[in-house]
Amino acid sequence: MKVTQAVEIPLAEWVSSVGDHVSQGFSYFDWLTAVDQTDATDEPGFDVVVHLLDVTAPERLRSVLLRTRVPDGAAVASLTPVFHGAAWHERETHEMFGIDFAGFDDGTGLGLRPLLLPDGFEGTPLRKSFMLAARASKPWPGAKEPGEGHGEGLRSGAPSRRRVQAPGVPPPEWGPR
Amino acid sequence: MPVDLPMPRVGPLAEHAPRPIKVVLNWGRRYSLWVFNFGLACCAIEFIATSMGSHDFIRLGVIPFAPGPRQADLMVVSGTVTDKMAPAIRRLYDQMPEPKYVISFGACSNSGGPYWDSYCVTKGVDQIIPVDVYVPGCPPRPEALLQGIIRLQEKIAAESLSGAALRRKYAAHRTPSAAELSRPLLLDARHGPAGQVAR
Repeated sequence: MKVTQAVEIPLAEWVSSVGDHVSQGFSYFDWLTAVDQTDATDEPGFDVVVHLLDVTAPERLRSVLLRTRVPDGAAVASLTPVFHGAAWHERETHEMFGIDFAGFDDGTGLGLRPLLLPDGFEGTPLRKSFMLAARASKPWPGAKEPGEGHGEGLRSGAPSRRRVQAPGVPPPEWGPR
Repeated sequence: MPVDLPMPRVGPLAEHAPRPIKVVLNWGRRYSLWVFNFGLACCAIEFIATSMGSHDFIRLGVIPFAPGPRQADLMVVSGTVTDKMAPAIRRLYDQMPEPKYVISFGACSNSGGPYWDSYCVTKGVDQIIPVDVYVPGCPPRPEALLQGIIRLQEKIAAESLSGAALRRKYAAHRTPSAAELSRPLLLDARHGPAGQVAR
């Protein structure tokens, strides 16, 4: 569905502000995730995002996207006191991004433990700094940039564009490909 | 408590049978392939389409009614194999009685396909189990699976089921024990690490 409203929230007011939105009618927890913004120029960190819905009038659904910026290494307060179901999403966000959720409680007392990744997986794969090992042994088979690759594009003079190193592509220190 | 039974195998009778009998045995096996569909993604839909009326692989002797891997001769891995799913595939393959065959159906199970550089996708199901026939495509059409089945049947017709030939085929792969086949796949975090799970 189309997100109609997005609100930036300071990190310290995260739980109380989400609670305020719940009391305003946004009582349906849709999802929670994070966005890696560690390459942002101001306030690098992770955006923790939660999507809430107001389902009191099903023909006129209202939704709100709540965001807070968490510096790398800092913990964000857990939403499990507000929504018990947020525990699944916070566990996934924790293992994918390595963000800690302070006060996480899903009723088992086992804390933030892996949810989806295979046993013994090391690293946080949805961070931009996570290297895709498969790309170290095999170059990207297609064109990364306009003008690369096969055929006419090579000769016709591609628009000059700064070569962008895509996140997850191992740097040259990883060896020849 | 698992009972330590050996896996059912083709006996010494088939191994030392005279050549005409081997031809008959191979002929019997190639047209009675009880198939077990390991459907993991969209390719499974093409597999189902192949089993339905318009393509109908039952006319080739492929029987899609195996209740589980223990009754199946052929496993068709159709879809994206993830590292999380890989132990389950290996285990269900181990449960199949020999002689057993595997068709890798589609780009994902052949090589990882469009997800070749993903952090969680296995780069081809042949990294965990031996594959007899690869069917390329994304997804392959049902006709491609029919062609793959015919190629597998040609392979079965040409094969010799002597003990040495079987050992060669499965040489790189360990033989599982009954305890391994019945171990729990998922560990309950409340019971500690593997091996300490209360039975």
